[in-house]
Amino acid sequence: MITIGQQFPEFELTAVIPGDLSAVDAKKPEDFFTTVSSEDNEGKWKIVFFWPKDFTFVCPTEISAFGKLNAEFADRDAVVYGASTDTEFVHFAWRIQHEDLKTLPFPMLADTKKELATATGVLNADGVADRATFIIDPTGEVQFAMVTAGSVGRNVDEVLRVLDALQTDELCPCNWRKGIDSTINAGELMTANI
Amino acid sequence: MSFDNLEQLREAMPTYAKDTKLNLGSVIGTLGQHLDEQQHWGTVLAVAAAVRSETTTPALAAEARARLSPEAADAALGAASVMAMNNIYYRAKHFLHGVYDDVRAGLRMQFIAAPGVAKVDFELWCLAVSTIAGCESCVGSHEQVVREGGLSREGVNDAIRIAAVIHAAAATLDAAELV
Repeated sequence: MITIGQQFPEFELTAVIPGDLSAVDAKKPEDFFTTVSSEDNEGKWKIVFFWPKDFTFVCPTEISAFGKLNAEFADRDAVVYGASTDTEFVHFAWRIQHEDLKTLPFPMLADTKKELATATGVLNADGVADRATFIIDPTGEVQFAMVTAGSVGRNVDEVLRVLDALQTDELCPCNWRKGIDSTINAGELMTANI
Repeated sequence: MSFDNLEQLREAMPTYAKDTKLNLGSVIGTLGQHLDEQQHWGTVLAVAAAVRSETTTPALAAEARARLSPEAADAALGAASVMAMNNIYYRAKHFLHGVYDDVRAGLRMQFIAAPGVAKVDFELWCLAVSTIAGCESCVGSHEQVVREGGLSREGVNDAIRIAAVIHAAAATLDAAELV
C-alpha cells in the first residue's frame, strides 16, 4: 500500500454524481454518471477512501459519516471521493435504495478495472479494496494513509482532525525563532504530559 | 460619529490635532514614490481594519476600496484578520523568552499561503498591522520578508508612516467623542 510522502496515483474513473439523485432530470442512466480524474479540483486537498463491497453492512454508516462532514471538509479546501471496485450501476442502485446514501454529497467512484485499488496497493486477496483512507495534499502527495482489517468501521472525525492538524502549519514569519536566548528545561520536558 | 471620506476626516480633526490633519493629507491621501497604488491603499485598508475605530475606519476603508481590486481588498482585510491572531499568539511566545518555542501553535493560518496578491504586498500589510499590535518580533520578521522580496527601506518606512498616522487619527477622533 502506498504511504506518506508518495504521490497518489493518477486516475480517471466513472462515478455516480454527488447530491440528491431524485432531483436529477435524467433521461438515461448516464445522466447519473460523471468522470472523476486526478486532474479535477486542482489545488484542493483530497480525501480518498475505499470500501470492499457495496450493499454490505458497515459501509453505509461510514460513507454517510463522510457525507455528514462534507461541509467541514469543504471548509478546509478538501474534496471527498469514495470508491469501491463495484460498477457505477451498482453504486447507483445502492445510492437510490439506501436512506443514508440518497443525498450523498460526494461522488462514488467505480474502480471496476481495479486500476486505482491496484496502484494504491489496497486490492486484497478477495479481489476487492481494503477499507483504506488517504489524505492527499494539493501537490498530490499522500499525507495520511490508514487501513483497517475486516469490518472495523472508520472514525471520520479522526480523518477531519488529521486534516486540520496537517493544515495548521505555522506559515507566518512571526514564528521565526532567534534560538539564542531560549532556555528549554530538559527536566521539565521529560516530565511534561506528551 | 463616522465619516464618509478622507476629506471629512481631516475637517473633523480638532485644532490641537492639526498635525494629524495635515499628515492625513500628505501621508495617506498622497501616493508617495516608494509604494505602488496597491501597496499604499492595501496598507491603509489593513491598518484601518486593525485599529477598528468607529470614527475613522469607515472613511479610510471606503477610500481604499475605491482604489483596490476586490481581491486586493480581501487580501488586505485577510492580513488584518490573520495578524489579529498571530500578533497575539507570537507576541506572547516572544514575551516568554523562547521557553514555549517548542510547543506547536496548532492554529490555522492557511490564508497566508494563498492570499490572492503578490507575497511582498501581503507581507507588507502584515508588517503594518503588526506595528499596531506592537509585536516587536512580528514587525522584524515581516520586515525581513518584504525587504528580501525587493521592497526598499523607504517603502517599508512609508508603510509604517501610514500605520502611525491612521493610529493617531483614530486615537484622536475616538477620544474626541469621549472627552
